[in-house]
Amino acid sequence: MSASTSSQPEYVTLVSGDGFEFVVPRSTACVSGTIRRMLDPSSRFSEAISGRCALENISGVVLEKVCEYFCYHQKNKNQTHVPDMDIPPELCLELLMAADYLDT
Amino acid sequence: MAMRARQKIRAPRRGLTAGKTDDFETNWGSLSTSLKKIHTKDASDISFELLYRNAYGIVLSNRGSDLYERTKTLEKEWLDSQVKAGVTAAITSSLILAKEQVDVLDQANERRDAGERFLVAIKEAWEDHQLCMGMITDVLMYMDRVLAEHRKPPIYVAAMVLFRDHVLRSPIRADSKTTVYDVLESTVLFMIQLERSGHIIDRPLIRHCIYMLEGLYETIAEEESSKLYLTVFEPAFLEASKKFYQAEGRRLLETGDAATFCNTATERLSEEITRCTDTISLSTESKIKDILDNELIRNNITEVINLEGTGVKTMLDNDRIDVLQSVYVISARVDDKKAPLIAAVQKRIVEMGKEINASAIAASQASILGVGKKSEPNTSGEKKPAEKEKPVNQQTVAAIKWVDDILALKQKFDNIWLNAFQSDQVMQGAISSSFSEFINLSQGSADSRSSEYLSLFFDENLKKGIKGKTDSEVDALLENGITLLRYIKDKDMFEAYYKKHLSRRLLMKRSVSMDAERQMISKMKMEVGNQFTQRLEAMFKDMTISEDLSSGYKQHVRRASDPDQKKIELDINVLTSTMWPLEIMSNVKNDKVQLPCIFPKEIESVKQSFERFYLGKHNGRKLSWQSSMGTADIRATFQRSNGKTQRHELNVSTYAMIILLLFNDVPARGSLTYTEIQERTRIPDHDLIRNLQSLAVAPKTRVLKKEPMSKDVKPTDKFVFNHDFQSPFLKVRIGVVSGSANKVENQDQRKETEKKMGEERGASIEAAIVRIMKQRKKLPHSQLMTEVLTQLSARFVPDVNMIKKRIESLIDREYLERVEEDPPTYGYVA
Repeated sequence: MSASTSSQPEYVTLVSGDGFEFVVPRSTACVSGTIRRMLDPSSRFSEAISGRCALENISGVVLEKVCEYFCYHQKNKNQTHVPDMDIPPELCLELLMAADYLDT
Repeated sequence: MAMRARQKIRAPRRGLTAGKTDDFETNWGSLSTSLKKIHTKDASDISFELLYRNAYGIVLSNRGSDLYERTKTLEKEWLDSQVKAGVTAAITSSLILAKEQVDVLDQANERRDAGERFLVAIKEAWEDHQLCMGMITDVLMYMDRVLAEHRKPPIYVAAMVLFRDHVLRSPIRADSKTTVYDVLESTVLFMIQLERSGHIIDRPLIRHCIYMLEGLYETIAEEESSKLYLTVFEPAFLEASKKFYQAEGRRLLETGDAATFCNTATERLSEEITRCTDTISLSTESKIKDILDNELIRNNITEVINLEGTGVKTMLDNDRIDVLQSVYVISARVDDKKAPLIAAVQKRIVEMGKEINASAIAASQASILGVGKKSEPNTSGEKKPAEKEKPVNQQTVAAIKWVDDILALKQKFDNIWLNAFQSDQVMQGAISSSFSEFINLSQGSADSRSSEYLSLFFDENLKKGIKGKTDSEVDALLENGITLLRYIKDKDMFEAYYKKHLSRRLLMKRSVSMDAERQMISKMKMEVGNQFTQRLEAMFKDMTISEDLSSGYKQHVRRASDPDQKKIELDINVLTSTMWPLEIMSNVKNDKVQLPCIFPKEIESVKQSFERFYLGKHNGRKLSWQSSMGTADIRATFQRSNGKTQRHELNVSTYAMIILLLFNDVPARGSLTYTEIQERTRIPDHDLIRNLQSLAVAPKTRVLKKEPMSKDVKPTDKFVFNHDFQSPFLKVRIGVVSGSANKVENQDQRKETEKKMGEERGASIEAAIVRIMKQRKKLPHSQLMTEVLTQLSARFVPDVNMIKKRIESLIDREYLERVEEDPPTYGYVA
């Protein structure tokens, strides 16, 4: 993913329920309200300290799409006439559930 | 897209909650342990994701409201058991007992320490609660999102309400009615009290406690106005401040120093503003300012301003600009009109003005006595003329001193106004009206001489004062005078005097600079108006026309020169009689027509020749000769007893010239008596005596010898031409004794001026009445009065009785008629 190769020094690791790891910039991950709260340094949960978020109930395939959306969202923020993101129909429901869970 | 549309949307391979039990109790069990861990700040090994997933699962399984209630109960128990205990433990007996003022210092210190500990405890409890609730809210975010649809307040708000009720509003002891909040309030107020009396307190600590009160609300809706700070603390704070400043005001008044009061008030104001920004809340700033304004300033300002020995009066006397400024600033805070301050300033101005008036009157009276004494020491003869003129001019000096004093006073108050009163419009008006008040104070009575004094001031300056001054200095000087003119109500009076003085200056050519004179006129024109300066300008015009006339006449003489006629040069001023002051023009003195004096035949022929010349140009005019105003240059030959001759050019008045020319016809060493001179010249007694005095008595200009030698001129005295006249100069100027100088009038002259003034005013009033009635045709009495008063007020303040008399007289003369009786109304008779 383009996000993983980003030169941002501060990045976090998102781990899917089936063990895939995605390294994304912190700001990108914080598009999700849940992850943002998880990583909030003032609350000092274990995730905030380690910078590693294990998302038990999201599969790697879905999490990849989620990360893609994070980047897409950040890139096209505050812009009009944005092209639609390509979403495979078989992932629709799972993505919706993940979105609900992650407060995105 | 079309291809994809045929694909089925498959159900997720695995539900998000799959593999997890739906057992609420188990989930809650692990969740509650973690929540407690959060409270004990032991969260670093808890996974947010786990907790979140737990709570998410609970909410998904429709147990969200149960989770909410359980969390609330958990919080309640935690607050009751742990937090409250921590806070109440910090409350010591000194904090509870000391609801009343503690004045003993060590007790105060003890209370302060205990208070600080307590505040720290509260602050920490609050901050912990905030932080923990923040974390718990994050974990339970999904619950809040779902429950928001059920109209439940977010768990955070609910927890804040719990904190308010179970910590702040809980009694400190089981059997006590005092709540933790009560102690908090009294402690904070105590701290502020300490700071007000000069101690240093922990401002940030109090600020944090105030933050807490600002973060808590009376209702769960969290409206701005229901902040605990606004509902409970602020009123208490304001009440305490009110009491404090009432006491402070009393205390400051007792010390009786206005300057201290003002400084303290100013300091307190800035202190309270800082307190609002640093210690409590900015929103209180305007309220505490109101308290200060009302309790400390408004209730005391009048007394402070009038404080004996230190009040505004003393400040004005000592030019305490800084203190006056703070008085002004704090007065302006409470009252736009600043009435007490204005009253005090005005009172002082009038007082000082009266002093100036009184000293001027005293000086002039002293000089009247001086004039009475004057004649005695001078019988011995040899006194310098300068000294001799002094007592006469003392009144003039007093007059000029009066103007200078007032200008100095004005300068002083202008300075105060500019620097202390921030150029306030209202203050300026007040100061001006006070000046006007005392300047016109005794207008109409015999004491009031402001118009005359002011005119004398101008006279003096235009004659001597502006010599060697730059244009801008002259301008400033005249401007000052004009400022005073602005205050004088009876401007017609001033005009009369100014006209008189101006005419002397013009005719005697005493004015230093015609530019300055014109400048003066234009200034007056700007200040008082066209009508006022009309006649003054006409005087200038006459002067210019006369110059042309004189040169025209000289050419005329040259052309028709008569070889056997002696060359006599004539410079003449033809004056329009209505424009110039009456006393100069009139030939009537003491109701007796004065016959024109007899000119020597040489002069007479010149006079007739000019008359022919003038009347040839302007037919139908009447020339009347004012011999009392002129001067003449004559060349006199003195034959010394040793046979030598000495020539001098004498510059003398016209009368003196006539007298001296008489001696041309007298045989050498022959004499003329006073009566003879008078018969031959018909010079009025008064003028003759004065001229003979200057010719025969004044030591340096004794062109005539008088027998017997004495100071006074008697009808029996004989005069002989003094061939032994000595003077170091070729040109000798022989002034007429006390004739030409403009000086303060004596009582008789004043009466005369006033009488003339009265006549002139009567005419002006009649003119105004007729003007108004002609326009209105019909007008009630009171309205007519007001209109007349407004029309004339630019020139003088007319006497109401005088107006009534004038109306009567106009009715008698059938200009007006009475139309109605009730209300009395007049009609204009065309």
